[in-house]
Amino acid sequence: MWKYLLEKEFKQFFRDPGLPKMALMFPVLMMLVFPFAVSMEIRNINLAVVDGSRCMESSRLIEKCISSGYFRLVEVCDSPDDAMRLMDDNDVDAIITIGPGFAADVAGGDGFPVGIKLNTVNGTRGSIGAQYLQACIRMYLQERNAGMDSGSGMAVSSVPVINVSEKYYFNPYLDYKLFMIPALIVIGITMITAFLPALNIVSEKETGTIEQINVTPVSKTAFIVCKMIPYWAIAFFVLTACLFIAWAVFGYTCRGNVLWLYFYTTLDIIVMAGLGLLISNYSSNAQQAMFVIWFFAVIFMLMSGIFTPIASMPDWAQAITYFNPMRYYADAMRSVYLKGADPFEIWYDAAGLAAIGIAMVSWAIASYRKSSD
Amino acid sequence: MEENVIHIRNLTKKFGGFTAVDHISFDVRRGEIFGFLGANGAGKTTAMRILCGLSRPTEGEGTVAGYDICSEQEKIKRNIGYMSQKFSLYPDLTVRENIRLFGGIYGLSDKTIKEKTGKMLDMLGMQSERDQLAGALPLGWKQRLAFSIAMVHDPGIIFLDEPTGGVDPETRRRFWEMIYDAAERGVTVFVTTHYMDEAEYCGRVSVMVDGKIAAMDSPDRLKSSYNAENMDEVFRIIAGRAGREG
Repeated sequence: MWKYLLEKEFKQFFRDPGLPKMALMFPVLMMLVFPFAVSMEIRNINLAVVDGSRCMESSRLIEKCISSGYFRLVEVCDSPDDAMRLMDDNDVDAIITIGPGFAADVAGGDGFPVGIKLNTVNGTRGSIGAQYLQACIRMYLQERNAGMDSGSGMAVSSVPVINVSEKYYFNPYLDYKLFMIPALIVIGITMITAFLPALNIVSEKETGTIEQINVTPVSKTAFIVCKMIPYWAIAFFVLTACLFIAWAVFGYTCRGNVLWLYFYTTLDIIVMAGLGLLISNYSSNAQQAMFVIWFFAVIFMLMSGIFTPIASMPDWAQAITYFNPMRYYADAMRSVYLKGADPFEIWYDAAGLAAIGIAMVSWAIASYRKSSD
Repeated sequence: MEENVIHIRNLTKKFGGFTAVDHISFDVRRGEIFGFLGANGAGKTTAMRILCGLSRPTEGEGTVAGYDICSEQEKIKRNIGYMSQKFSLYPDLTVRENIRLFGGIYGLSDKTIKEKTGKMLDMLGMQSERDQLAGALPLGWKQRLAFSIAMVHDPGIIFLDEPTGGVDPETRRRFWEMIYDAAERGVTVFVTTHYMDEAEYCGRVSVMVDGKIAAMDSPDRLKSSYNAENMDEVFRIIAGRAGREG
């Protein structure tokens, strides 16, 4: 009986006009396009300069900012009002204003007449832009002081020079793509194993074919498991393809044992199978199912720590993340892939997934029995 | 000897405070064509779902094909065929694949399925359409195919839920020929319908009103006892007394 049901599911899958192409395109898009799209690095900040002093020193400062690569000089304005107008029109993100006595003030050590203004409509872009600008100004000052030291032998004591050296572990170049790759795999696997089977079951409800199956001796378990097996196969295919592309294109490899990635994916698949079944039990048509899926997808992603660190969420939001399976799965995948963690170090991820999995699957089975009474 | 293959006593189904099926009792003999009539909402489909093992009764007892409707639903499912008003074969599988799937589900071997498929396609005259997607067939063909597939495991009883909805008279006539053929082979046919001319083809009919069986007899005797020309009139007299909206 299983053989015939599986045969049916696979035939239907490959006969679907979109699904097989999607299964192929998904890893490619996920690895080659999305890592660039979800990058949180801020580049191309449009900068306007109001240079009141127009001297050698001020142009060196501006030069320093532009050469950092983060800023694009849009215009050198004559008055602060002109610059503000540009910001009002959204043409610039940042304004740096240099006072008229810049060269003399800096040389004399009597203050530093430079002002910066940031457009913070997009808060992240604004605050990161401000940090970049401050860093550029600091670098300018350091270099200037160093130049003075060697050139004239005269130390400028008014600007303390502090050297902070940083060393980054696990992702030394702060490469955002490397950070996002395991997370994107997590999102992809969740979509494939929870939401596609849910829609598939609901569509059988809509066409009435599920009723025909219900009057046959096919057990409900067999029917559901056969429905999910193809998606599980696709999930493992997508995982493998993603890992391969990450290696072939970016040269990234998993630091830990790759088998643990498959282990956590299997755990996640069980959780998602329960969720998918739950959604299909409580929805009688595709529209309802789509809405529920959308609701869960958004909550899962935003409260998983994939895009924003969980530690910076308020306490009540952190409490919610404990019920989000994606939190555990994403953490496990990142730990194994980026740090090479072994499961004993991150046992809590497996425990979290298992607990949610047991709850979800039992609830799904209970509601499934009831719905058919 | 006449043997009852469906035996129902005081069958009741309640949904909350609403009684969809209200203490109905009836028997159906082997090889009989039993028409189950009633207006929309009279409780036909609910009763039929219980007989097919899709739903449990709130009260009452009975057997279908010798198995208890409360406790042996899985055994009932093995021994009946079911065809619903909605086309319920897989539209994205071909004619042959649909036969194979349902044959396999009922535990037939690959070899038996192959033989059956050949015979069935010959009988339906669909040999040249065997590799067409079932969804692309004309409605009349779909329904005849669905009927044959519901019979793929040679069940003793077949349940037909408004099988001829929406098809032309000629196709309906051919469909009824298939029903007669099955009945001649000893298959019991339990059919719900809206078409009163089809009710005339049945050996015996029951008319459900408000969850109860208001009348049950052969079409001829019903006509004479209600002094009516045809089943349509009989139905209107009986169903006209309905208290609840259709």
